[in-house]
Amino acid sequence: MEETSDHPNPTTSTPGTTPEPDPKTMRSSKPGLKRLLITTTVLFSFLSGLPFLWKSVEIYRSQLPFHDIDSLSDQIKSTPLRFPCTFHALFIGFRSNDPDQLRSEIQDGVNQLTGESSQCGSCNVSISVTVQSPDELCSETFPSTCSYRCGVIKRDAFGGGLDDEVDESLDDVFGGCSGGIGKMYSVVVVNKEEGDGGDEVKAVVGKRRHAWIVGSGLEERYGEVVGRVSEVFVKVFMNGGREEGDSIRGEFMPVGSDGRLVLSFSLLNSNPRDWIYDWDFQRIDEGLLAPVTKALAPIADISVESQVLYHTPKSSFSSWDEKLQSYIFRTSDLPFFVNSNEWHLDTSAGASGRSKILQFVVYIPSGKECPLHLQLPNGEISKTNGFISPMWGSVIVWNPRNCDKDSESPSRNMISPQDLEQIVEVFLGQFRQLFGFKSEAIYTSELGSYKILPSERGFTEWELDVLSRKHTCFNLHSCATTLGSLSRLVQSLPRMIIKDEIGEQVKYSLKAAKLAQSNASLGGYSSSASSSREARSLAENAFFHPSIMSVSYFSYEHCFAVYSPFFLPVAGHVVLAALREWKRYKQEKAKYLTWLTRKKTA
Amino acid sequence: MARTVIPLLILQSFLLAIAFGSNEVEEEFSESLLLKPLPDRKVLAHFHFENRAPPSNSHGRHHHLFPKAISQLVQKFRVKEMELSFTQGRWNHEHWGGSDTLSSMNAKPVGVELWAVFDVPRSEVDTSWKNLTHALSGLFCASINFLESSTSYAAPTWGFGRSSDKLRYGSLPREAVCTENLTPWLKLLPCRDKDGISALMNRPSVYRGFYHSQRLHLSMVDSGMLLEQSLTVVLQPDTVYDGKDLQPSWSLSSLFGRKVVGKCVLAKSSNVYLQMEGLAHPEAHTLLKNEEFELSIKPDRTLRETSSVLFIFDIDKSSDSEPFDLSLTWKLPSKWSCQQAPLHASRFLMGSGNERGAIAILLKATESQDKLSGKDITNGGHCRVKANVFQIFPWYVKVYYHTLQIFVDQQQNTSSEVLKKINVSPSADKMSSGMMEMMLELPCEVKSVAISIEYDKGFLHIDEYPPDANQGFDIPSALISFPDHHASLDFKEELSTLPLLSKFKDKSLVRSYTEVLLVPLTTPDFSMPYNVITITCTVFALYFGSLLNALRRRIGEEERFLKSKGKKTGGLKQLLSRFTAKIRGRPVESPSSEPTAAAQSSVLSSKLLFKIILVAGVAAAWQYFSTDK
Repeated sequence: MEETSDHPNPTTSTPGTTPEPDPKTMRSSKPGLKRLLITTTVLFSFLSGLPFLWKSVEIYRSQLPFHDIDSLSDQIKSTPLRFPCTFHALFIGFRSNDPDQLRSEIQDGVNQLTGESSQCGSCNVSISVTVQSPDELCSETFPSTCSYRCGVIKRDAFGGGLDDEVDESLDDVFGGCSGGIGKMYSVVVVNKEEGDGGDEVKAVVGKRRHAWIVGSGLEERYGEVVGRVSEVFVKVFMNGGREEGDSIRGEFMPVGSDGRLVLSFSLLNSNPRDWIYDWDFQRIDEGLLAPVTKALAPIADISVESQVLYHTPKSSFSSWDEKLQSYIFRTSDLPFFVNSNEWHLDTSAGASGRSKILQFVVYIPSGKECPLHLQLPNGEISKTNGFISPMWGSVIVWNPRNCDKDSESPSRNMISPQDLEQIVEVFLGQFRQLFGFKSEAIYTSELGSYKILPSERGFTEWELDVLSRKHTCFNLHSCATTLGSLSRLVQSLPRMIIKDEIGEQVKYSLKAAKLAQSNASLGGYSSSASSSREARSLAENAFFHPSIMSVSYFSYEHCFAVYSPFFLPVAGHVVLAALREWKRYKQEKAKYLTWLTRKKTA
Repeated sequence: MARTVIPLLILQSFLLAIAFGSNEVEEEFSESLLLKPLPDRKVLAHFHFENRAPPSNSHGRHHHLFPKAISQLVQKFRVKEMELSFTQGRWNHEHWGGSDTLSSMNAKPVGVELWAVFDVPRSEVDTSWKNLTHALSGLFCASINFLESSTSYAAPTWGFGRSSDKLRYGSLPREAVCTENLTPWLKLLPCRDKDGISALMNRPSVYRGFYHSQRLHLSMVDSGMLLEQSLTVVLQPDTVYDGKDLQPSWSLSSLFGRKVVGKCVLAKSSNVYLQMEGLAHPEAHTLLKNEEFELSIKPDRTLRETSSVLFIFDIDKSSDSEPFDLSLTWKLPSKWSCQQAPLHASRFLMGSGNERGAIAILLKATESQDKLSGKDITNGGHCRVKANVFQIFPWYVKVYYHTLQIFVDQQQNTSSEVLKKINVSPSADKMSSGMMEMMLELPCEVKSVAISIEYDKGFLHIDEYPPDANQGFDIPSALISFPDHHASLDFKEELSTLPLLSKFKDKSLVRSYTEVLLVPLTTPDFSMPYNVITITCTVFALYFGSLLNALRRRIGEEERFLKSKGKKTGGLKQLLSRFTAKIRGRPVESPSSEPTAAAQSSVLSSKLLFKIILVAGVAAAWQYFSTDK
């Protein structure tokens, strides 16, 4: 049709003079609609097929609750998780103090110590105070959280005997305390009568959730006492005796993302030609480690295994020190002590998936470097002769009693049970350090020092509380960040296949996280710890789902390459044909209309 | 004084009893090395390590010598028995022996072979197998996890020589074996390669050999777990040819480039054995020196067997200053031959082309057959040799079992005569591999037996081809075993203290593996899908376009137009002039009047402009889409 319009006009037509219309400018018949209809039908069927095509190349993506994920991470970031804790202070032998006033003062002290920055996993404090006067009359703040029977604790009889016994008796006294929601911690302040203990103030933190401060003349040093009580509450019971600014510790919780922890004990004989030592670890496991793993059960599922390895030299050098009569390695050598080439500690096949393995290594030096001691930066010899490496584990150097080489053929010696017990004690200290606690039994602050009673289970109850609080908090944090990264990843790759399984896991993870949060606000420590563990492990499972890892997602380039050879030329044909027919129809119709008008005028 | 000493002693012994009493049966480790000159001027070295763990109630969590990784594997997957071997090179059955214990235990197929028996309910065996392959592949840095797919393993019933319905067998012929597999294997030994006999394993000399096979055999026995690790190497001693036809002389340091400087202190026993076969005067060879050869170290014991002499050396006495460096110097030319299996097996492909073919297994009688068969079986007056054939076929080799033909001494045989028993499990496409077990009973005087079976080559999906598809596909070795022949060394002495020898004394099934076959399959051009897509789409587009054009054609109008145009210059000429004009960018030099030419040129240039813009737009869109990612 272009040709027809292009066609140069051969004759100068004189319109109106001839009855036959000029085919260039007008036509007598109505233009036909057949071809236009055909081409538009084709075009429309083509267009209406597009949605079906789009549907057919669509890949399966399970709907992830992006909004919920965002709101969870926002919530965790903006409002740190806090657990309800009840602090109960019992003042015995104080005459003239109003419990309400004491409470507000302690509250001030607590607020001052916690400061504005409320860490995740800290306490939502509620304080109650009971004051028992010397003549055994009690007054307490309202509402009473603890049914302390007035006069049970005798002012003068208190503190006699061993600290462990005092701790037990306090547990009986406060046994009836439900503590409302959350855990209840108590501090007993006993003001002894003048003269029998001098000016000394003794402060002890027990194995359960009790602490006591005993001294004489405390009523006069009333401000100091209140300060110390709030310090016990915040620094010990709330933060577990950790240093401030230790919040990064929370990131270093040595528990695998599936909530499992494998303690792998290895005895390394660096040169079995000099001597060979073996141990009876089975007994240690049953006797000393089982209570610890049981105590930590709410936080992690712990399993223990052991092995003995040979020909495992350390990779750093040690030097002979004449004065100390021993070989010395310094703290600066520690990064090179662990010899990853020769110490084939092996990841355990028992640790499946993403569980964490902590290596505990007992290193027996060879004859060339015996005895081997760790020198601290201040020039002293380390008492434990060991060190920890966060998130990896710890090393203890154990020197044989006698550094003289055995005669020709080395015999196999057993480490004596006493030595083994000592080693395990050091292990437990290191284990506590790996969890962020102090290994010493004394906590010192500006106002004085506190004696901390060690538990035979490795961790005291209040320490376990701190752990579960921190652990819950850390788990929720990591769950939120994992889900956040997952949602970002999924949104950035619009053509990635997402299986239903991942969607389910994300859904359940969010559910468990919600449950953990609500449990935490209700004060269920172990339940929130376990559901937060579940939330984290589900989130990690979703993130590391094998189908996400696979590269064979159906990309846009692929789609383009497959469909363009057909659709580009065909679309060209169809669209151009429709356009041309439409143009021609308009042209012809104009011709027809001019003819009509011409006819009319004519 | 004496009074105080005695209670102290009692106390001490009591404490010792406490210390050692907890596990009375201790974990035990022993190491040994067997050296054997071979008739074809090579030397075989067979390292054998044995690790025993008593049954414990700690569920394998605490170990002293036994490798923790292995016992955890056993606990986790409930493995009852397992054997894993990594092999490079092919065992030469004719020269290195075919029917002795060493060859029937340690001649393994090329690549990786794994079989395991599980102690789980039958429905869970496959899951355990899959998990085990993954764990082992992590442990040994090998692609054993390829055995996980159900197309690559089989469950032999009786043809494997071990009947259990919880047995799984798989092999990877293509697996390359090297030092990265040996290092984790050595890690399982308490002394690794730091001390003792394993210190000889100098990697370059081990991998320079003609054959090396590292094996790990784990079994649950009454006394707990037994882990046997062995490395078999065939080495060529470096010698200069001296004109005389002497066997090459060698020493440990010339073979391995290292010496033994003492036993692994953790080993209960640590021995080196030298096995000499085919000596002229076995009685005379108990001496250190004789006219035939000379040893550098005096053997601690000498054992005599029917066909060979075994010298035993204890390496306890060696030290840094006085390393154990055994050497053997030949003085007289010596020739002998090894014990042969009753039949020598080989396997080859027949046929050509990419469509079909046939597999043939050829069993040839060896010299030793008469000797062996004479004493072995007399079945109703006829001497018979029994042979089991076990073969796995991958699913893409579609075997027609009805085409099985057996030729005995080149005469086609009706199957029932020699074929006593056959068990076939056909393969399912992409689901499972096929397996064939045959029991043949052949007359002793048979010279050769040929078994042939035809197959069609299957087509794989494009995703299923390995990266080097054009190399071809491997069919795993067939296993030929002789159920009535057992290999053992026949010592008169009691040898329970020497683990390797007591193992050799036990009877073991004579078996040999055939070659791996390489089947070329039709490999597609891997860009083919896109080519196909492009060409079909182009054809469709052309069809579509022409159909649409045909529908819109106005024939009457065109005829009118042509008529009116016929007076003008020829269409072709005009087209050419237009084309050149377009290239030059000049208006068409038309002979007609000026105004029309100008009008034409303006129309032309606007169309040209439109087309250029269209092309540029498409290019920009393409650029946008391709750089979007």
